Amino acid sequence: MLYVVLFFLIFSLYLYVVLGGADYGAGIVELFSSEENQKITKKTIYRVMGPVWEANHIWIIILIVILWIAFPAYYNIMVVNLHIPLTIVLLGVTLRGVAFVFRHYDAVIDNSQKLYDGMFKISSLITPIFLGMVFGALIGGKIKIVDDISTLTFYEAFIRPWFNVFSILVGLFFAALCAFLSSVLLIGESEKEVSKIYIRKANIATVIVFIVGLITFIYGYVFEHVFVQDFLQNNYALTFMLLSGGLLIPLRITIRKGRRVLSRFFAGLQVFLILLAALVSHFPDIIVTETSSISLLENIAPDSVIKVLGISLIIGGAIILPGLFHLLKSFKMIKILEQHNNRSI
Amino acid sequence: MENLDAARLQMAFTLIFHIVFACIGMVMPFFMVVSHYKWLKTRDKIYLTLTKSWQKGVAIFFVTGAVSGTALSFELGLLWPEFMKHAGPIIGMPFSLEGAAFFVEAIALGFYLYGWNKLPEKFHWFTGIIIGLSGVASGILVVAANGWMNSPTGFDYIDGQFLNIDPVKAMLNPAWFTQALHMTLAAFTATGFAVAGIHAFQVYKKRKVALHKKAFKIAITFGAIAAILQPISGDISAKDIAKRQPVKLAAMEAHYHTEKGAPLYIGGVVDTKTQEVKYKIALPGMLSFLAFGDFDAEVKGLNDFPEDERPNVAIVHYAFQIMVGIGTLLLFAGILYFISLKRKKWFNNKYWLLFVFLAPMGFIALEAGWIVTEVGRQPWIIHKIMRTKDAVTPMPGIVFSFYMYVAVYLTLAIAVTWLMLRQIKVLNNSNH
Repeated sequence: MLYVVLFFLIFSLYLYVVLGGADYGAGIVELFSSEENQKITKKTIYRVMGPVWEANHIWIIILIVILWIAFPAYYNIMVVNLHIPLTIVLLGVTLRGVAFVFRHYDAVIDNSQKLYDGMFKISSLITPIFLGMVFGALIGGKIKIVDDISTLTFYEAFIRPWFNVFSILVGLFFAALCAFLSSVLLIGESEKEVSKIYIRKANIATVIVFIVGLITFIYGYVFEHVFVQDFLQNNYALTFMLLSGGLLIPLRITIRKGRRVLSRFFAGLQVFLILLAALVSHFPDIIVTETSSISLLENIAPDSVIKVLGISLIIGGAIILPGLFHLLKSFKMIKILEQHNNRSI
Repeated sequence: MENLDAARLQMAFTLIFHIVFACIGMVMPFFMVVSHYKWLKTRDKIYLTLTKSWQKGVAIFFVTGAVSGTALSFELGLLWPEFMKHAGPIIGMPFSLEGAAFFVEAIALGFYLYGWNKLPEKFHWFTGIIIGLSGVASGILVVAANGWMNSPTGFDYIDGQFLNIDPVKAMLNPAWFTQALHMTLAAFTATGFAVAGIHAFQVYKKRKVALHKKAFKIAITFGAIAAILQPISGDISAKDIAKRQPVKLAAMEAHYHTEKGAPLYIGGVVDTKTQEVKYKIALPGMLSFLAFGDFDAEVKGLNDFPEDERPNVAIVHYAFQIMVGIGTLLLFAGILYFISLKRKKWFNNKYWLLFVFLAPMGFIALEAGWIVTEVGRQPWIIHKIMRTKDAVTPMPGIVFSFYMYVAVYLTLAIAVTWLMLRQIKVLNNSNH
């Protein structure tokens, strides 16, 4: 059963990174677009994300619930030491969700749209950066585990774990990854002329991902960062990383040939490989602290809890996944129908 | 401000907001599908306009409920890490099921909102039903976790360790049924009266009377039925609390001295120093009767409990009085509505104004009820197992996070109210 739980943990983490990530990325793409393109992007985002974006963000709730039920000690470190960045993430999630609904459901269209758009775009950028910083903090080796946290200074306990070069680099990396995912998604959702904009965005995002990744490795190598060193010595991690880079070639070919589904599949696979590489380099020690590593597998809830959780997840998955799949599929069909009717929205 | 107080205030504040959003998001889909059903049956365009207008309300409240709920799922850990470390695995089951129900709701909402003229009519309507049912299921499941804090079961507590954990037993804790029943009825009452009140105001102002009367009727029917059923559930809850958490009952009634044939106090000012309630109306023997079904039964007083195990008596007592008072008022208003269906001439301006006045009452009672159960549980976060002060985060300066939440949520509340006003304005200017 533990493996079922682990599967769902990584599964929901991955889906959140891909689906939620593409969702955040949409706001980032909009933020870095010219005024005219912003309008087009806003419409496309609504059409593509509208029916599914709420579902996309539930994966983080599933993720957090699995963590606190099955891996309470691990979760505890997160919520205590990373209180501040998590609070900022929450603030971002709240403002972003609200802005999305406000800008599409406000009965009157007037100047307040500008405010909603601004809120949406800024929080779309800030939230993934801080999410990435949280992940960076967990593997960054700056968290100090002591018996009595009050013996540490405020800075040592609550700031330094996440406010450091490595974490910030991971945050930027994740935000760029979101923009990349979203661009690839939007290419397939737009007309020929418009899609060129997103192809350019996808290229820029790829370059940023690459540069930030490179800086992270150079920084880690020069300053002997624990995670980076282990990563570079781990053959699996390196293989995944190279594979992910290699996938850029089929991605480009599929985009040029207009194969929407296949290009998304490759982009998703790339992100999966990156995530896998990041997880595998220390697995199962998912939290890397200053003194030692904390294994996910050594801090699990009792068997009875894992068993019930596993069963709940299987049942929940059996109900949700077909529904979700159907939802995604239905609205793809609808899009084609709409194109026939010259689009009504 | 102490960290503990700041954390408690932040939790209370975010919950107070979340409860409003969540209740409306949970109950309004039912109004929407009734109106939708009437549109499909009668093809009266008014119902279509109403359905579409309510659907926007559902969408806005679903999202505000969802994001404030996401915030809460993190806050539980951010503010009470010690609690979550131990309780997380035990009460995780209702939370994971709630996550599933919530997911189903989001999927159904996606189908419903974007399915007009695209999905088969009946299937489209059915997805609306799913939104409502999964919303209620989420609510009931979340209350299971709160019920567990009041009546912790499903583990053995030995030397500060939680052993032999049984998550199913924890979920099926004794407080769950009574609390979930009471809360579900309260959600329907509060939302029913609130929505009805808004439409009553439009009728009073003579705007689109035909439409708003139909809307009023749908909303108040749900609200009135729930308000009439609520006292039964209240009675079950009172008897349950008398058995399980006698100190909470004593605080609700500001009942200091253990006695047989205890009187029920209505109103009154609590003086915690002299341990007396002044200016009250006392009904002899009624408290014993309500708690145990026997006018002579002994009801334990606050003085029978150690001082550091008592909640804040005044807050709990006043909140309880407000809840019961408003509950009774809404019960009569519900009965009045059903009688008025037979007496058409009652529908005059005073009638509409009465329901406008009642609009916020349900939610005030609902919040008061949660204050009774949450403040009444103190000083425990897990009844008789863990104190709230031992669960709070070691991170100092929570007060700043509290201020931030106050600022954000107040802004949100103002924004949502403003959006609703704009919806109504546009609705009134529409063609049907």
